[in-house]
Amino acid sequence: MDETVAPISRSAVVRASSPAPFSTGRACFLSVSRRLAFLALGVIFLALPAAGHAENNCPWLNEATAGGLLGGDAVGMKTDASAGQPTVCTFTQQGAGVTRTLRITVEIAPEPHQRMSAVAQVCGADAAPIKAIGNEALVCTADDRKGGMGERVVGRVRDQVFTITIASTLKSDPILNRDALKARIYTAAEQVAGNLF
Amino acid sequence: MIRRNTIDGATPYVKNGGSKGKYMRTTANNRITIACLWVAALVVGSVELRQVAAQQATPQQDAAALTPPPAYTAPPKGAPPAEDTPAQREAIAKWKARAELAVAADRKEYNSEVTPSYNFHYGPKNPYTPGNVQVQGDGFLQPGAYPSAEYCGTCHQEAYSQWRQALHSNAFRTPFYRTSVNLLIRDQTRGIAFARFCDSCHNPIGVLGAALTEDSKVDRAKFDSDGLTCTTCHSVLSLDSTNGNASVKMGVPAVIVDEKGERIPGEVPFDMILRHPERHSAAVMHDFLHTPEFCAACHKANLPAPLNDYKFIRAFTAYDEWQQSKFSQRNPLTFYQADFTTCQGCHMKRNAISLPDYGAKNGTLVSHRWLAGNTAVPFYYGFDEQLSKTIDFLRAGNFLNVDIFGLEKAGEVTKDGNPKLIAPLGKASFDLAPNDLVTAFVVVQNKNIGHSLIPEVRDLYEAWVEFTVKDANGKEIYHSGFLKPDGLIDPRAHSFTNRPVTNEGEFVDNHKVWTIHSVAYDNTVQAGRSVLVRYQFRLPADVSGDVSVTAKVNYRHLRQSYLNNIFGKGDHPDYPLVEIASRTRILKIGENKPEPSEPNDNQDWMRWNNLGIALLDQFQYMESVQAFHEVVKLRPDYAEGYTNIGLTEIVWEKYESARGAIHRALALDPNSARALYYDGLLQRRAGNTEKEIADFRKVVEMFPQSRDARRELGITYYQQKDEHNALEQFEALQKIDPDDLVAHYNLSVLYRRMGKKEEAAKQQAMFIDKKVDPGAPTYSLNYLRDHPEISTESIPWHMHSDLVGNSGELQNGK
Repeated sequence: MDETVAPISRSAVVRASSPAPFSTGRACFLSVSRRLAFLALGVIFLALPAAGHAENNCPWLNEATAGGLLGGDAVGMKTDASAGQPTVCTFTQQGAGVTRTLRITVEIAPEPHQRMSAVAQVCGADAAPIKAIGNEALVCTADDRKGGMGERVVGRVRDQVFTITIASTLKSDPILNRDALKARIYTAAEQVAGNLF
Repeated sequence: MIRRNTIDGATPYVKNGGSKGKYMRTTANNRITIACLWVAALVVGSVELRQVAAQQATPQQDAAALTPPPAYTAPPKGAPPAEDTPAQREAIAKWKARAELAVAADRKEYNSEVTPSYNFHYGPKNPYTPGNVQVQGDGFLQPGAYPSAEYCGTCHQEAYSQWRQALHSNAFRTPFYRTSVNLLIRDQTRGIAFARFCDSCHNPIGVLGAALTEDSKVDRAKFDSDGLTCTTCHSVLSLDSTNGNASVKMGVPAVIVDEKGERIPGEVPFDMILRHPERHSAAVMHDFLHTPEFCAACHKANLPAPLNDYKFIRAFTAYDEWQQSKFSQRNPLTFYQADFTTCQGCHMKRNAISLPDYGAKNGTLVSHRWLAGNTAVPFYYGFDEQLSKTIDFLRAGNFLNVDIFGLEKAGEVTKDGNPKLIAPLGKASFDLAPNDLVTAFVVVQNKNIGHSLIPEVRDLYEAWVEFTVKDANGKEIYHSGFLKPDGLIDPRAHSFTNRPVTNEGEFVDNHKVWTIHSVAYDNTVQAGRSVLVRYQFRLPADVSGDVSVTAKVNYRHLRQSYLNNIFGKGDHPDYPLVEIASRTRILKIGENKPEPSEPNDNQDWMRWNNLGIALLDQFQYMESVQAFHEVVKLRPDYAEGYTNIGLTEIVWEKYESARGAIHRALALDPNSARALYYDGLLQRRAGNTEKEIADFRKVVEMFPQSRDARRELGITYYQQKDEHNALEQFEALQKIDPDDLVAHYNLSVLYRRMGKKEEAAKQQAMFIDKKVDPGAPTYSLNYLRDHPEISTESIPWHMHSDLVGNSGELQNGK
């Protein structure tokens, strides 16, 4: 199943601490001097530490824990919420011929129940409620079309709606087999929900 | 990145190579392999173990997920321990040597990875401050050093299955805890380093493993879900004090000792344990595990200055409450007596097992459910068995007695002009009529709880009196303590709770304990004491027939507004509400005659006694003495009744009368430590120092752990300039209660006189830190001004009524 989540309204995005992205289309019409100014700004932005982007500062799961869940050293990256998009933490573990990922999305929703229902649609019919994760949570498979296996939790802590997906590019992953995925997605969900409370 | 411990080579803990098994400990899957190899090791003297890929266990797993226990037949009772052959001894020695080397090497490597980025907020010598926990050896202890609960559960399936649902295993992960500690972590002037204070008890593996720091490099997945696992409690080496806040020293976990009694760290093959169960016990069953002092390590807490940037504030102390209760037999001043009962005696009762457990004796095992009051955790996790047993525990213990003791009718007075008390109900005859304005006296006795009602963080729990008066048709005449549609309790209910407030006078609704500066009110009922709750209502003009009056004590875990903080208002189900005790009486409009008692009713003398105790605590001394006089009328042989009269008259400053009562008590029971104690106070008042000392000394001889007697005897010696004996008493007192202010003050003076400047300064500093801030009550006043219903509750003598005037004042129904 593809990991697609219905877009959220602008008002739903609270953690938009990073600047809104420039529209590349509009930039074509800017004067040369303004383009240079923007270029200079761009250089400055590149030189500065990219606050909230591509950093290992996921507030809901650290790399070591993610690595434990994925079965090896994992590299984390966080992308702060931007217009219409949730905050995303992605942890990747590269093995021999396999890529394992743990992806977390968190958004603050003004109508959390409705948003939870909308986000939960990504799970489809096989979603099953799981006990004692946040205010409410569902678990479902998240296998991809290329044969990779995955497991997903969609949940909510108060007005924070989250998704967690653990996936492997292998169909028969010796580490992330189905049973392991089910156990580890629960552990991941408990970690994330615990930190969201 | 650190995930588990790693041990090189052919050792009990094998680094698996690559990323898969690094830092993983042995697991259930390879234990059988280990056991087989252990047998082989005994033969060939070498061990080569292979790590099997570790499986993450779901936190919800129960005993069904455990490996079946290995075959075992307990040796006959009294049989000597098994004798090892030289080859077996050599194998054990090799195992031990390798395990020690491996754990030490692992610890060193672990520390080299976690220490550089660790936030030593309180300095490198205080890595766990503000908690008091300590650990054996140097540096942080890697989480993988702790044998897993599943490992222990293989042979202890009953204990494991109970523990999995109990509060201890869920000490960290619950939303009820996480919400609170997350606030501390997110606090702008504090942060995760301060959370070591809370996690020292809630997640000690994390604290001792350096997980509580920014940019943590520790895999938290397993230990977070297990909270206090088997090998946290069973690895404690010593109790450092009864100061609480996790005042223990954790050992490097070991499940067995060798023939010399030396600990062998880490998991070992089950065969090794089953061959030497006595060595297993020596490693994991220290005697102090059976004592209340062990529980005190975490069931006693203060808010220290390093946490709140203010000063020492007592948070809770179930331990001291127990020590002052009748169940400890350490306090001669309790109103009633009981058999010695420890914390474990109530919360770890022995029950028949239903799952295999090699720790069972005669088919029974001490409960690892630690049943108490928490219904919220099993409710949230769906632990139905734990929930049902918790509710049964709350209801079954004869913990409380609710007595609708008496009535006052407006306008009916004694010949002295005081309101006439119709009591005790069930024995007294009286008439009731429509329009009567009635005040009901409800006495709630904390009868058999070994600590206060409510104990510990009582700002989070709710116990309250629900009082209803209904006519013959069931129509409500009066109702106090109802639940509002939003689940909040009637704000004017009589609640056994408290209201901690900030320095702005705001209620600390979300358990941000580091902001607490004062307590606006605290209606707790200490062990063995009673409270009198008054309810006033008017009988309707058209009432006829029977009027039923019911008083209940309800309990809810947690407070509704705290649940709202956690889950959002209206965003959680109703949490269980448990009726702990109740009593209903039927009042007739017209003539009321005596009626038989019910099985749970106290005897009449005790009913009067409880009223006297409640009135004493409400500073109603005259009425209290009158109630105690009723006790001795019913039981003229009851020395304690006279002592009660005497002690009330002492606090009422009627010393001559008090002397008569205490002498009467001593005449009936010359060895009554309680009467002797109060006699000592009276002798001091009369200037009879020798008799005063003799009284207090006798009490101390009978009750060496009586903090009151030690304190008074110390004061007496101090006043007599007998510094040596005064010092002895105050030092003994401090061992019993390390927070006693009188001990701190006097020891600081005495040490200074003896030239012990350093000790004197230490005592002085503790006195200043622990003494209540005289400005603190002003913070409470701000809160009480804004909350008149709580302001009323904060007054010991208060009336509950809905008969109010337009401006909110009580009108006495007129």
